[in-house]
Amino acid sequence: MYTRLLLIFSLASGTALAQATASLPEQQESVQSLIDRIQQLEKRISELEDHQRKQDAARAASTGLQTLTEIQGSQEKATLAPGLHSEHAPSSTEVREAEVHYPSLQIRGFGEVDFSATNDKGSVSGFNLGQLVLHLASPLSKKVGYFGELSFTARPTGYDVQVERTIIRYDYNDYFKISFGKYHTPIGYWNTAFHHGAWLQTTISRPEMVKFGGSFIPVHFVGLQAEGSLPSGGLGLGYSVGLGNGRSSILSKAGDSGDSNDNRAWVASVFARPTRFYGLQLGGSVYGDKLSPDPGRNFGEWITAADVVWTKERPEFLSEFANVHHRDLRTSQTFNSQAFYVQLAYRLPWLESKWKPYYRFEYIHRPANEPVWDVSGLSSVTDLASSTLGVRYDITNYAAFKGEYRNNRTGANEPRVNGAFFQTAFTF
Amino acid sequence: MTTHQKFASRALITGCLSLCLLQSLIAQSAGDVDVAVVVHPDTPVSNLTLAEVRKVFLGDRQYWSTDVPVVLLIRAPVARERNVVLKVIYQMSESQFKQYWIAKIFRAETATAPKVVYSNDMANELVTAIPGAIAFIDARDVRPGTKLIRVDGRLPKEQGYPLR
Repeated sequence: MYTRLLLIFSLASGTALAQATASLPEQQESVQSLIDRIQQLEKRISELEDHQRKQDAARAASTGLQTLTEIQGSQEKATLAPGLHSEHAPSSTEVREAEVHYPSLQIRGFGEVDFSATNDKGSVSGFNLGQLVLHLASPLSKKVGYFGELSFTARPTGYDVQVERTIIRYDYNDYFKISFGKYHTPIGYWNTAFHHGAWLQTTISRPEMVKFGGSFIPVHFVGLQAEGSLPSGGLGLGYSVGLGNGRSSILSKAGDSGDSNDNRAWVASVFARPTRFYGLQLGGSVYGDKLSPDPGRNFGEWITAADVVWTKERPEFLSEFANVHHRDLRTSQTFNSQAFYVQLAYRLPWLESKWKPYYRFEYIHRPANEPVWDVSGLSSVTDLASSTLGVRYDITNYAAFKGEYRNNRTGANEPRVNGAFFQTAFTF
Repeated sequence: MTTHQKFASRALITGCLSLCLLQSLIAQSAGDVDVAVVVHPDTPVSNLTLAEVRKVFLGDRQYWSTDVPVVLLIRAPVARERNVVLKVIYQMSESQFKQYWIAKIFRAETATAPKVVYSNDMANELVTAIPGAIAFIDARDVRPGTKLIRVDGRLPKEQGYPLR
């Protein structure tokens, strides 16, 4: 009996082992066959390229030396002529495909569909279309490029079309690039990292301190900006300085059509991306302006901000802090408002790494008697303490679902509000 | 112990040992090919640290010199060279890599993403032809006419070469 049992066990073990060892060679065979197939395809491509090259050479011999410039007409292109005469001259098709033509407009779109429901009295639950954003990028020459961003926002009376960014930039080298136009102000991290593409950010919404349409920091800036890297070895320093119109008389808007006073706003920021800690970024920024929200009422504005981010996804960590200092130029009275957020996310390694849970805490404090935030009679900035807990699920490489629970308190002595928010965000 | 038992236990041990040996051989044969960094022959660099290579391929360094912009060439998905680059240089998955470049262009930090090449031959030829071009190529396929870059002072096949 004992012998039989042992024999059955041995046979079962042997079969299991045979299956295990059989599946491994099968996988290896599949991999090997795929590698062989790729090599065959690469060989075939080589043969076709050689064939094409011979045909090109024969054509050139019969028709005389025809330059690439003649083939392409008047279109400007990257300099490739020396390579064409070398021993390993590439086929003209390959080179034509690889070279950059000027201008070369690329358009990318970002869209979102949102659903929200809260227990806030007076709010209405339901769907909304969020923003449809078109991003344009076009190199105009080897050193000049154009970038634009247009947004279409659904309103009760139709769609609100805005030029969010329009920038023409001249690159001298890595250390100096100068541009003109309308930017997202380089204060802190979020405002220049995610722009209007909800798909790019982990969460559904931006933090309140950098919210579009918000007033805490000037989200947009019209003027000129110089930027680049600083020679700093492994410290990876970079800078950005700008001069522009600053806020318009409506504090949440930039002076697209002109400044609200004769005083220019300025901004300077510096960041470090240490090579030793790939993914880490530390930044600091300063912004100065004179505000003229009402005729005869002028305020000096001085914003200081700092940020620490870890841009990888295991984990992702974003945090920034800003202090907004206002000084009444008539009475010399000063006011300081502070805001910060801390966001932590983690891309889970299971289920094809499609799930990314996250949490964010954000906080805003303003003095009760701060006159700038209440200049229009409505509070454009209020106290806030908010927690957001959510998860992002990447359906494909270009679309994601997000679900969030938010608990926040806006204004002193106000009740807390709970809400559920859902979004599908995508790029196309 | 009966003869059957002895036979079964020996077969089990032999099977396990064979399996381990097979796995190590497969791993060795797949992993011992270095990936070379090559640039256009006129590019004014010959030695880069791994961090500098990363900076170039992240699009943070965009000029070799004032007049020579960096032109990034990267193999299409599934190629082994691309997998090595994603793992060692970018430390990203395929989807993270795609998102990274969409975001990079969206932030107006660069106007173009890396150009995709479909074979090592194509990479060799374009690196030879395009000033400022840089690519990763299987070290066995590097052709004369390109310039091989030392990474952390080492060439492919040297001990401690980081791209494999």
